[in-house]
Amino acid sequence: MKGLLPLFLGLFGTFAFSWVGLTVIPNMQIGALNPQMDEEGTDIYPMPKSGMAERGRRIYAANGCIYCHSQQVRPDYVSADLDRTRDAGPSPRPKWAGRRSAPRDYIFDRPVQLGQERMGPDLADIAKAAPGEEESPATVPAGTAPAASPAAPQSPAPRANVAATKPGVSAPPTTLPALQATGANPSPTPSPNGVPPAYSAAWHHRHLYSPRSMSPDNLDSTMPAYKFLYEKHQISGEPSANALQLTGPDAPPPGWEIVPSYDAKCLVAYLMSLHQSHPLKEVRSAGGAAPVPAASPPATPAGSPPPAPAKK
Amino acid sequence: MTPATGISLKEPTISGAAADAEQLERARIDASTRVPVLMFYASAMVWLLIGTLLAGFVSFKLHAPDWMADVSFLTWGRLRPVHMNIMVYGWASMAAMGTAIWLMARLCRTTLRHPLLIVTGIWFWNIGVLIGVVAILMGYSTGYQWLEFPPYAALVLFVAYALIMSWAVLMFRFRRGNQIYITQWYLLGAFLWFPWLYAAAQAMLFVAPVQGVLQAAVGWWYGNNLLFLWFGTIALGTAYYMIPKVIGRPVYSYHLATIGFWTYALFSSWTGMQRLVDGPFPAWMITASIAATILTIIPVATVGLNHHMTMQGYFPVMRYSPTLRFTVFGAMSYTVFSVVGILISLRSTARYVHFTEATIAYSHMGFYAFFTMIIFGSMYYIVPRLVGREWRYATLIKLHFWASAYGVGLMSLMLLAGGFVQGSSEQSPSMPFIESAASVLPYLRGRTLAALLLTISHFIFAFHFGLMLFGLGRTSTVPTFLNPVEAEGSESPL
Repeated sequence: MKGLLPLFLGLFGTFAFSWVGLTVIPNMQIGALNPQMDEEGTDIYPMPKSGMAERGRRIYAANGCIYCHSQQVRPDYVSADLDRTRDAGPSPRPKWAGRRSAPRDYIFDRPVQLGQERMGPDLADIAKAAPGEEESPATVPAGTAPAASPAAPQSPAPRANVAATKPGVSAPPTTLPALQATGANPSPTPSPNGVPPAYSAAWHHRHLYSPRSMSPDNLDSTMPAYKFLYEKHQISGEPSANALQLTGPDAPPPGWEIVPSYDAKCLVAYLMSLHQSHPLKEVRSAGGAAPVPAASPPATPAGSPPPAPAKK
Repeated sequence: MTPATGISLKEPTISGAAADAEQLERARIDASTRVPVLMFYASAMVWLLIGTLLAGFVSFKLHAPDWMADVSFLTWGRLRPVHMNIMVYGWASMAAMGTAIWLMARLCRTTLRHPLLIVTGIWFWNIGVLIGVVAILMGYSTGYQWLEFPPYAALVLFVAYALIMSWAVLMFRFRRGNQIYITQWYLLGAFLWFPWLYAAAQAMLFVAPVQGVLQAAVGWWYGNNLLFLWFGTIALGTAYYMIPKVIGRPVYSYHLATIGFWTYALFSSWTGMQRLVDGPFPAWMITASIAATILTIIPVATVGLNHHMTMQGYFPVMRYSPTLRFTVFGAMSYTVFSVVGILISLRSTARYVHFTEATIAYSHMGFYAFFTMIIFGSMYYIVPRLVGREWRYATLIKLHFWASAYGVGLMSLMLLAGGFVQGSSEQSPSMPFIESAASVLPYLRGRTLAALLLTISHFIFAFHFGLMLFGLGRTSTVPTFLNPVEAEGSESPL
């Protein structure tokens, strides 16, 4: 190499090229997205999370949930993400998600938790799997943050996902009650072994406390138990309303109870706020509900499995 | 000395007085780097041992997830980033800087001035890593992979880096002769790129954070470039020095080296987005990175060919020289690592290996089989020249090599195979997710075994290094060979 100048210019130039190309230009392209809203400006998605859920995101990041759980759903032409159902829940089991993820889904996320590995299931749309009635009240004390999620009762619209449950509907109906939209069991009752309805807040608490106690199928789970997020109290007077209902070896001794710490409540509030069910203009929903008509395949009848992804 | 194999194992002697003067100058330069480089290595070794133990812990916790569930700072999701950050910033970066500074001094043919300033930098760097590790354990991880240290720890690292590297660059300023060696291109590149990369990532994530998914893009841009442009660059530069040095023969082709260097800088800096394949990003970003990954075959081929042609006819020296054996293993792993990287980044394979352990296999091949093995090799060369003693036990070196080689080989195979199994089962939606996740568990047990091998290897090396540090090496003018040279008299090379 002759001379220092060409060397330094080269070193500088190659890296500047990569820096501009892979970070600066994408930032110009998708770095300033706004929430999507309809003409009246009412049906806004996404919305910033509540304070508790935001704190929950910190807990999620601090405890490394990202190393095993992704929060992104791949499109149906490369993966089975959209065909996959969750392992628990009422029959028919809730789907992982109704559509693929898009950049707009994450505009309020910081730190964004896309994930790189799936030792555990994807959580992008986990709140949608929750039973309808369980949405907000259980974990969030009244009067603090509005609810665990933007899907608060006063704004049911973001929850009205048409993709998985109402194929063929091309415009987002904002009037569907959340219950119907989620396709959940209308009357969730605890199962005989004391496990709360799947993906409810109480279920998340028990799952975090003792991941392998949920069902016999779950014994292979490698999820760590997050017992340190829970407190053991001696019961004085009335048992706490939010005490975990535990059976077997996890159950506290008589006279004691396990209650979630504030961090645990925040974490569950965060989980209950994770949803990508609201249709986006730029994303074709699976199963045929397509805001962009030209790109949609024929709609499949409700209840029948969506077409298998093309495996190449 | 020329053993019966007909291959000279020492630097070619020039003649009489000139050689003596040269030797004397080298000794003087080596002496000036003694304190900082040994401090780098000693710190790196301590971090390596801690990181290795943590790796075993993390690996084991996947088999016993209820173990120590009450202790917040021992939860899996905190220990894993601690292990990774210790390996990246504690072990790899410090060992790399030690080797780089020694190489720089040798190649600039100038003594290291004011080594105490570098020593201060080393302390700062150690403190920065320690702060970061404690912060992660206490639950202050930033949540960005590879950048989990909070910004205040990053700031300490940055100050430390400025103290260290400004001195290395100053050394370059005072170099003798106008020649810029191949190794120096790589080192100067690494010195310039790392602070830029680190500052850019910190700025785009914490100072003026980018929106949404772009944080993940910046994260992987940082992660891959750290692997390629910081660790990979120093490793390749080291290999370009060590291989010709040990066998006493110039690099085969200067022009190939030029092509290899610039294409490496150009293409590998554009990789990274393939780790986000099929994610919520504009397709061009991912496609550009996949294309760049495929194009890295050009630097791989040229650098590989160059090393191979330099080694041509001298491969039997690997039987004797520990440095050469480690370095050549690392240089070959560079090819394997890159080819695997290309294969798993193609969209048709990526859909099966994305979100699986295969990604971790890829990182370990880059970090360990390629980078760490070359750095081990350089330490076997440099440490005796700093302490004035030779390595005491050839057996320990051999054990270190084989435990490392088999360990990382087993780990890569297990995680790659496990990743494919895991990914394929994830693609059949009728299988419950828990079953698809469980399909990788047998491979993870294999990984735990590999972690055990690597632990053995690192403790052996640390013990041996400790002996050298405390002046318990052999006093001899002949380097420690892996096999006795004289005994091979009747054997012909190859």
